[in-house]
Amino acid sequence: MTEALLEVTDLRVTFADRGRQIRAVDGVSYPVYAGQTLAIVGESGSGKTVSCRAVIGLLPPSAVITGSARFAGTELVGLTDDQLREHRGANIAMVFQDPARSLNPTMRIGTQIAEAVRTHRRVSKAQAREQAVELLRLVHMPLPERRCEEYPHQLSGGMRQRVMIAIALACRPRLLIADEATTALDVTTQAQIMELLLELQAELGMALMLISHDLGLAASYADEVIVMYAGRIVEQAPAARLFEQVRMPYTQALFEAIPRLERPAHTPLPVIGGRPPDAATRLQGCSFAPRCRRAADDCRAAAPPLAEHEPGHRWACWHPVGVADAG
Amino acid sequence: MSAPLPDLLAPAEKAKAASARARRSGWTRALRLWIPAGFLILLVAACFIWPHIYPVPKPVGGSVLNAGLPPLSPGHVFGTDPVGNDVFSRILYGGQVSFEVGLAVTAIGLVAGGLLGMAAGYWGGAADTVISRVLDVLIAFPALVLALAIAEGLGPSEVHVIWALAVFSIPATGRIARGATIGLRDQTFMLAARLSGTRGWRVIARHVVPNIMPQLMTFSLLGIGVIIILEGALSFLGLGIPLPEASWGSMIAQGQQSLSASPDLVLIPSAFLFATVLALNLLSDALRERWSL
Amino acid sequence: MAVSFDTSEHPGPGAGAKPPRLVHRVLGSPGLRLAGRRVLAALPVLFGVTLLTYVVMNLLPGDTAQILLGANATPAEIHQLSVQLHLNEPFWVRYGGWLGGVLHGNLGTSLTSGENVTTILGARLPVTVELLLYAFVASIVLAVLLAVLAARKPNGIADRFSMTVSMMGLSIAPYVLAPVLVYFFAIKLNWFPAIGYTPLSQNPAENIRSLTLPAAAIGFPLFAVYTRLLRADIVEQMQREDYIVTARAKGVPPWRILIRHALHNSLFGLITLVALNLGTLIGAAAIIEPIFSLPGVGAILIQSINDHDVPVIEGIVVVFGVVVVVANLAADLLYAALDPRIRHERSAS
Repeated sequence: MTEALLEVTDLRVTFADRGRQIRAVDGVSYPVYAGQTLAIVGESGSGKTVSCRAVIGLLPPSAVITGSARFAGTELVGLTDDQLREHRGANIAMVFQDPARSLNPTMRIGTQIAEAVRTHRRVSKAQAREQAVELLRLVHMPLPERRCEEYPHQLSGGMRQRVMIAIALACRPRLLIADEATTALDVTTQAQIMELLLELQAELGMALMLISHDLGLAASYADEVIVMYAGRIVEQAPAARLFEQVRMPYTQALFEAIPRLERPAHTPLPVIGGRPPDAATRLQGCSFAPRCRRAADDCRAAAPPLAEHEPGHRWACWHPVGVADAG
Repeated sequence: MSAPLPDLLAPAEKAKAASARARRSGWTRALRLWIPAGFLILLVAACFIWPHIYPVPKPVGGSVLNAGLPPLSPGHVFGTDPVGNDVFSRILYGGQVSFEVGLAVTAIGLVAGGLLGMAAGYWGGAADTVISRVLDVLIAFPALVLALAIAEGLGPSEVHVIWALAVFSIPATGRIARGATIGLRDQTFMLAARLSGTRGWRVIARHVVPNIMPQLMTFSLLGIGVIIILEGALSFLGLGIPLPEASWGSMIAQGQQSLSASPDLVLIPSAFLFATVLALNLLSDALRERWSL
Repeated sequence: MAVSFDTSEHPGPGAGAKPPRLVHRVLGSPGLRLAGRRVLAALPVLFGVTLLTYVVMNLLPGDTAQILLGANATPAEIHQLSVQLHLNEPFWVRYGGWLGGVLHGNLGTSLTSGENVTTILGARLPVTVELLLYAFVASIVLAVLLAVLAARKPNGIADRFSMTVSMMGLSIAPYVLAPVLVYFFAIKLNWFPAIGYTPLSQNPAENIRSLTLPAAAIGFPLFAVYTRLLRADIVEQMQREDYIVTARAKGVPPWRILIRHALHNSLFGLITLVALNLGTLIGAAAIIEPIFSLPGVGAILIQSINDHDVPVIEGIVVVFGVVVVVANLAADLLYAALDPRIRHERSAS
């Protein structure tokens, strides 16, 4: 069993908001291995983004983080911002959702990429500039020298995202986190960017974490998939396994909600009724119970633990799909 | 290479600390509103009511025999000025002037400026262009010079000061009202109101006014402070409230002449001016926070 | 730095063309066209301002000739002076004559002293300009420093200090602050002179000393407003903007984020405010200069208003009007320099 590159153990994140406690992440544990592509899937508010940002310390100061996140043996939770900065961008890099707003509109592309380089390496401005051009080439940006002189608003959405990726790769990170990186792009560009990410992963040997609400995306591109709901992991399995044998009713409902061509026209989309629980209130039983078709009394009484019921496949449910009910 | 295990506060304790902080800030928020409000209420009450219920020496017509008494002299808590007038009573009466002018001008600005601004913002088009240009010119014009000119021409008196300063207050309020109305114009509920056939002024009265009120109110509170300062400036220059009537501005101007000998003649009215405007500013800020603008 | 273009892969339009040189970029730039448009738009406002002044001055009660000659003048003398000063001609004729003169650089003659208005202003303007520049530059520099320190840790010590100081500065007027400053710093401590002005050419050190207290009286309220605004803008950038998160994710040190990213993009609000404020500075100068006996433009403004010396007033208003227009123009150009999106407004990407 190889050592995990990133080992997250019982990670919890709470925010204080006007006297209430908001539990954004409620005890999350998973490993990420070098070279692996891990997808974390969930609705808005499931805690997927918060948990990743907590690992590298990108949350506002009001966030309280407990638990453990060991990266290559170093514990990240509890480090000061100065200490975390050594890892940010150098070992662990992130690509964000909205490239239009994630790039500084008044700074040239080349400068922004060079900044990423010069933050962690002692190189001259000229050298950093050359590296910026190289990085743009790496992400298949046409006319990289020209692009370096331009500003973000002069580029299309897909090109901006390539710039974001170039920035993230500046110091050859060992882990790249793509937080809804393709959500704001059109479908064709989405595919291009995803292909680019996988190509770069293979070339550079990085681990890749895909955070998304799009289960279809996870299905197509990830090795391993984690499904989160209300701050907890509810199911985890290798991608292929998950889609053949989904267990968690929530995951199943997510699958069913994906629009499919084979369905007859004008069939209503089977969306999941209701809304995720308010992050400030603590539910007695399973957090999905109010919206679950298979919910029974024991679901509302106690929350099911996350356990590896089948090899390589964890889930947290009293009445999983496709498994004979116990007793 | 691995960092030592971090010392983690149990989550419960950290959370308790955070919510305690939140509760405390609710406390201080209320204080931040009521302390300046209380001060202003007290001051207004003192200026307008006190002279009627408790005898206070007259602010004018003092005897030269009493001139130049220092503060805390018997019968003259703040002393007397070079002409013999009691400083304390001049502060009270000067305060009356400041508040009267401040409130009157701001009221005029709110009504006239507000109407103009809302009209310009709501109907747009030619009316907007004309009104905006006029407002622009008035705002581009150095406020003090305009006020000075008008006050000078009309002659020094409280009413003339009010008119002179209103010329400054109307465009300022108008700009804010116009901006706020435009911000409102494209919202769905406005569209709904217009589609339902409600006539222009009705829409404005029932939908625009209640929604821009908070913004206008906090702006006007700041405005009262500005007007009080401007009135003080005019009186300071001798073009506002005419001597020997009391005004904080003219008291400062007078006191300047004997600055080294009796600095309190300057420092006392200055302190009152400062405190009043400070209270108004703090109140405006606290209200803006309360109404989360 | 040698740059090679690999056009083999993706030959796009203009492949092989170098980015245009700076000079060409400025001259052909949309920015210059923007500036031209702004000037054109400002002219009517300038026109309106001068017209308004003329109107106000001339509609005011009080016979100028009478005021000039005093109470003992005979009707004949008053009439003679009125004719001499063209005071009886119709309003539009007088205004037109004056406007025509201005466009030729002639600002008229003072009614009280007979001197050329241009000469009067020429002598006094440098004093006022130096005073206002001093107040202005000092307040901006200090405001930037304090705002950056405050924004580094919102609600920290520096921040609370900045908020207190700003609140105080907002509540105090120059004419209130000036006597207090004079009392403490001139009379009690004797660090600065209470009144009087030493020209720059005569003694630079004394010159600065004589202008420090007046500049402080004018500058402190300005400093307060600028600090408040800048601090709020910077904090907003730091907390709400996504590109700040990107910079943090890159591992960029906090000071660099604060200054190169947040401050840089917060300057717009400050520039707008400064340009807006410029016009009101003449009012502040008018009050402060007499207090400190500075021979500037503000000092004669009030005197002229009292004397109905319309040409002088008009001259001052025109000069300041031009200054305000130029300042707003400079502000617009600064916007374009700071934000490339404005520069490229019209150009397709």
